[in-house]
Amino acid sequence: MGGLPLVNKLGFYEIRLEAIGGMGANLAGKMLAEAGVNGSGLNGVSFSSYGSEKKGSPVKAHIRFCELTTQIRDTSSVEHPHMVGIFHEALAKTVHVTSGIGPDSIVLVNSTKAPSQLMALLDMQGGKIAAIDATGIALKEKNRVNMAMLGALFKICPFLDPQAMKDIVTKSLGAKYPQAIESAHRTFDRGYEEVVFEQFTLEDNGPLLDFKHSNISSLGYENQPIGGMITNPGGNYLKDLSISRSGMIPSYDPESCINCAGCDNVCPDMCFVWEERTDRKGRSQIFLQGIDYQYCKGCLKCVQACPTSALSSIKEKEGYADKYSVKHRFDLAAQF
Amino acid sequence: MQTSIQSSIALILLRNFNKKKGGFMMAIDYSKEIGSAKVEQQYVYESGNEMAAYAAQQINYHVMGYFPISPSTEVAQFLDLTKTTGQHDIKLIPSDGEHSSAGICYGASTAGGRVFNATSAQGYMYMLEQMPVQSGTRLPMVMNLVCRSISGPLNIHGDHSDLYFALNTGWPILMCRDPQAVYDMNIMALKLAEDPEVRLPVMVASDGYFTSHQKRRVQTFMHREDVMKFVGEQPPAGFPHTLDREQPISIGPYMNEPDYINNRYQMSEAMYKAGAVFERIAKEYGDLTGRYYPTLDLYRMEDAEVAVFLMNSASEIIKDVVDQLRAEGIKAGSISPNIIRPFPQKQIANALKNVKAITVGDRGDSTGGHGGNMVNELKAALFTHGNHTTQVISRIYGLGGKEFYAEDGHHFFQLAIEAAKSGEVAVPFDFYGHHPGESDKTPIRLLKPLKFEDLKTGLIEIDKDELTGKLRVKVPPMRSLVKKPKRLTPGHGACPGCGIFSGLELFFKGIEGDIVTLFHTGCAYVVSTGYPHSSHKGTFIHNLFQNGAATLSGVVEMFWERKRRGELDDLGLKDDFTFVMVTGDGGMDIGMGPAIGAALRNHRMIILEYDNEGYMNTGAQLSYSTPKGHRTSTSGVGKTQQGKGSHHKDTPQIMAATNIPYVFTGTEAHPQDLVKKAAKAWWYAQNEGLVYGKILSACPLNWMAEDNAGTSLVGTAVDSCFFPLYEVELGITTITYDPEAKSQKVELTEWLKRMGKTRHLLKPENEAILKSFQDEVERRWSRLKIKHAHPEL
Repeated sequence: MGGLPLVNKLGFYEIRLEAIGGMGANLAGKMLAEAGVNGSGLNGVSFSSYGSEKKGSPVKAHIRFCELTTQIRDTSSVEHPHMVGIFHEALAKTVHVTSGIGPDSIVLVNSTKAPSQLMALLDMQGGKIAAIDATGIALKEKNRVNMAMLGALFKICPFLDPQAMKDIVTKSLGAKYPQAIESAHRTFDRGYEEVVFEQFTLEDNGPLLDFKHSNISSLGYENQPIGGMITNPGGNYLKDLSISRSGMIPSYDPESCINCAGCDNVCPDMCFVWEERTDRKGRSQIFLQGIDYQYCKGCLKCVQACPTSALSSIKEKEGYADKYSVKHRFDLAAQF
Repeated sequence: MQTSIQSSIALILLRNFNKKKGGFMMAIDYSKEIGSAKVEQQYVYESGNEMAAYAAQQINYHVMGYFPISPSTEVAQFLDLTKTTGQHDIKLIPSDGEHSSAGICYGASTAGGRVFNATSAQGYMYMLEQMPVQSGTRLPMVMNLVCRSISGPLNIHGDHSDLYFALNTGWPILMCRDPQAVYDMNIMALKLAEDPEVRLPVMVASDGYFTSHQKRRVQTFMHREDVMKFVGEQPPAGFPHTLDREQPISIGPYMNEPDYINNRYQMSEAMYKAGAVFERIAKEYGDLTGRYYPTLDLYRMEDAEVAVFLMNSASEIIKDVVDQLRAEGIKAGSISPNIIRPFPQKQIANALKNVKAITVGDRGDSTGGHGGNMVNELKAALFTHGNHTTQVISRIYGLGGKEFYAEDGHHFFQLAIEAAKSGEVAVPFDFYGHHPGESDKTPIRLLKPLKFEDLKTGLIEIDKDELTGKLRVKVPPMRSLVKKPKRLTPGHGACPGCGIFSGLELFFKGIEGDIVTLFHTGCAYVVSTGYPHSSHKGTFIHNLFQNGAATLSGVVEMFWERKRRGELDDLGLKDDFTFVMVTGDGGMDIGMGPAIGAALRNHRMIILEYDNEGYMNTGAQLSYSTPKGHRTSTSGVGKTQQGKGSHHKDTPQIMAATNIPYVFTGTEAHPQDLVKKAAKAWWYAQNEGLVYGKILSACPLNWMAEDNAGTSLVGTAVDSCFFPLYEVELGITTITYDPEAKSQKVELTEWLKRMGKTRHLLKPENEAILKSFQDEVERRWSRLKIKHAHPEL
C-alpha cells in the first residue's frame, strides 16, 4: 500500500464504475470505498447513480479518495475519472463509458478481448487499458462478477489493501454463508491475478476524447412542448435494451413451433414478431416469425412458457442477436 | 431513488453485510483525530439517510409514522433494519400515505412521547396541511425533509422546491450541508423542538441524493447515553398531554377572532426565540463534540468583496471555488445559513456589510416572484438593516437534480465580480443552467396512431344472458388474439422478467376499441414514460400517486359531457373510449380513498391493479398487500421480527363491498381467464359503471426469484389458494378456476419455498407465523367457496 498514485487539483483520486443494474456494481463501489476509508487510512466519498433505473438499466458508481486531511466538498458526479471500471463490455454500445478520461486514466473492462481490441471498441486513441474476464471467472468459481471485478480494481489501486477487502468478505458472509467465502476469495484473487494491462501511446498528447457534460438534452426551453407533455409517444421503441441481457438468450426454432402464443402472453418486453399468412389449408392464420432481440432482456420467461422445444435458452454468442433478430414493423408516421 | 432496484438489492445484501459488522455500522478508530470532543466520539462511513436514522436510533424515539418516498425512504428502511437486529425499539408505523403518516405523528405527539418522521417532495406536499397544525398547537417533533423537486412532470431528484413550501408552516428549519450535519442537526433538532421557550416541531433539511445517498466519514457519539444526556432522557416535564386522566385537556379547539391572532403571535414569538435557543444549543453541542454550527456558515467572508449565497450541498462546492479565486487575488467569500427559520436576517445583513456584490443561488423558484425565496428574504434583510449598497444578483439553479459543478460556482462569482465593478446588476434575475435545445431536434410524431379497425376486431363476442343478467363471453384462442396490436411499444425499462406488462397486455387484449389509460406512480409508470420517450401508443395520463381514480373520473365525465354537447363530433371518434386506470398495490394503499370514492360514484371506468406485493418502485417496502411474514425492505427478517407482521389486504373484497358491477382477479398464468374477465370489464365499464380488477404480478427481483419464474410463481399462488381466481359480477361471486376441483391444489409452502423473500417461513422456528398465514389463506378461500355456492352472499 502506498499513497494515492494520482490526484486532481482538489486532491482526489476518482473512480467511476459503469455497469448494469443488478450486476452488483453498487455494492462493489461501496465495498471498494469502505476498504479505502475503513481499511487503508484514506478519506473518501462514494455514491451510485440515483434514479428509478431498474435492474438491467445502465448505472454508475462514483468513488473519490483523498488523504485524511483533504476537505471533501465536491458532491458532483465523477466526470474526470482516474479509473473507469466497465462491468459489461456491451455498455459501450449505448453509454459513453469512457467520458472524461485523461491520458493517465486506466480503463478496466470485463471482457475476454485483449486490451488492443478494447481500445478500438471503446474508440480510444491511446491510454492504459486493463482487461479481465470477470464473467468467465465468476461462472467458473460460481460467484459474482463484482467480486472478480473488485479483484482487478484492487490490483489497479495499489493504495488499497486486498487483505482488508477479503476480511470484509469473510465477515459479511461469515456465519450465514461460510461455504461461499472460499469461492468469493478465489474469485477476488483470480480477478487480482489475471487482470492484464496494456499502455498505448497517445499521439500528440491531446485529449483522449472530447468531453462534454452528459446532462444536456437536445430538447430545451425553445423546443420542449410545454407542460412536459410527450407529443410523440411510443418513442421507447427506439431504445436498444440488449445490454440488459446477462449472458443467456432465447433461441427460436420455427420447426417445432405450434404458434400457441404462450411466449407472447408472458413476454414482458413485447419481443415476439408475428405475421398473418395462409396455412396449409389455405386459411388465414397467425404465425410466429421470430424474436426482436433489440428489446429482449434475456429473462427467459418465454422458454418456460413454451410447450414444445421451439424456444430454448442458449448462451449468447457475439453476433447471434443481430443475425437472428426479426425486427418489429412499426407503423411510422415519418420517414427517417 | 436510487429508489429503485439497486437500492433494494443493495439493501438486501447490506442486511447481511452490515449485520455481520456487529452493529449498525463499523466504527473506525481514528480517535486521534477527534481532538476537541469532551465525550467519546467515533467515525463511521455512512450516508445522510443513514445518519438521520442513526441519530433517531440513538435517541430511541417512541414513534415514527412514515410512508415511503424517494429519496427519504431509506431512513425508515435503515430503522427497520436496525430494529430487526434489536438495536432500538422505536415503534415504526407504515402508514397508508403521508397525510396519514403526519396524522400518526401528530396524534403520537399529543400523547407526550418523542416523534420522528422523514419525507420528501410530493410526500411533504401531501402532509402539508398537517404542518401548521402541528406547529400551531405547539407539539414538538422532528421531521427530516430530504429535499427533492416538487413537480409534474414528475422529477424525483433534488432541489429545494419542497423546502420552500415549509417556510410558512411555523416549523424552525435546520439545514444540513453534508451527512455529518444531518447527524448533528438531528440531535440538536429534538432539543430545540422541546425547549420550553420554543415548543415547536423542527424540520431538518438535507439535499436529496447529494447528501442523502452519498457516503462520507461522519463523527458520532460513541455512546447513546451521551446523546441522551444532551437531549434529556425524557422530554421536559410540565407540558400537558392526552394520556393523563387527572388533567384532561382539549387539543385543537374551534378558535376564531379575537383569539386566533394571539395564538399566531405566540407562535411567531416562539419562532424568533428559536433562533437564540438554537445558538445556545449549538454552542453547547460544539463544546461537547468539537463540531460547531453557527447560525451562518461564513467562509472567508472577513474581507470579502464578492460573495455567493447557497444552501446545503452546493454551499460546500462553492468553498473550493472561493479558495481558487482567493489564490488569484480575488476577495471572494461564501455564505450559507445553518438555519432558515427563523431567517437570520440581522446576521446576514451584518455579514454583507462590506460586500460589494453577491449572487444568490436559489435551488427552487418562487415563480413570478422575481427570485427564489432566499434572494428575496436576503434583499429584505439588507433593506431592513439599512444596506443599500450591496448589489444582489438572483439566479435559479440546480433544479430537479441538475448538478452544481465548481465551474457553475465560478460563473456565479463572475456575475458578482462584474456587478461589483460596474456598480449595477445587468440581469437581476434569471435562470442558470437552462438551455434552448437544438432547433433541429424538435419532436415529431414517430408512430401513427393505432388503427381503430385493428383494435375493434370482433374477435371477442359478448352478450348479456337475459335470464341471469350475467354476461356471456366468447374468446378465441390466444393465437388469434396476437393479431390485436399491443397497446405499448417495447423499449420500456422494466426489470428482466417483470410481470407487469405481460399482465397488462393480456388484459388489454380483452378490450375492443380505444383505451385512455391513467397510470398511478409506480414501476409501470416510471419505466414506460422516461422523458422524452414513452411506450404508450394511445393516450396516457399520470397524476399524483394517490389521485388516479379521482383524476380519471374527471376525464370520464368530461368525455361524456363533451360528447353530450356535441363537442367531440369533429374528432371522428368511432366508438366510446374505455377508460382504464392502472395502479400498483402501493397506489391502492395511498389511493384507497379516491378509489372507493370513484367506485361509490360508479363512473364508467376500470381500476386495474398490478399487485406485486410491495412498493417495488421505491425499493421494495411493504405494502398492505404484502402477505404476512414476507420480507421487504421495511419488514426485515432477523432477531426481533420475521417479515411483515400483519396479513395481506383483501382489496377485491373491499372493492366488492362498494357494490360496483364487476370485480375480478387474474394472472398471466391463466391467460384465457384473464382475457375473458377483461372483456367483461370492458362491457361493464362501457355500459354500467366502475370495474375493479387485481392482477397478481411477479417481481422476480424483490421476490428474490429467478427472472424466468414469474408466470409459474403466480400460477402456484393461484394453485395454493393464496390468490383465488374469481369474479364478483353484479354482486354474485363465481370462482373461475378451482384448483381443488381440478386436483391442482398445492400446499402454500410450495409457493413460499420458491422465493427468497419467504424461504425463512419454512424454518421450524417460524412455524407459528407460517401457520397463521396458512390459516388466513384457508379462511379466505373457504369463505369464497361459500360465497360461490350462495349467490345471495
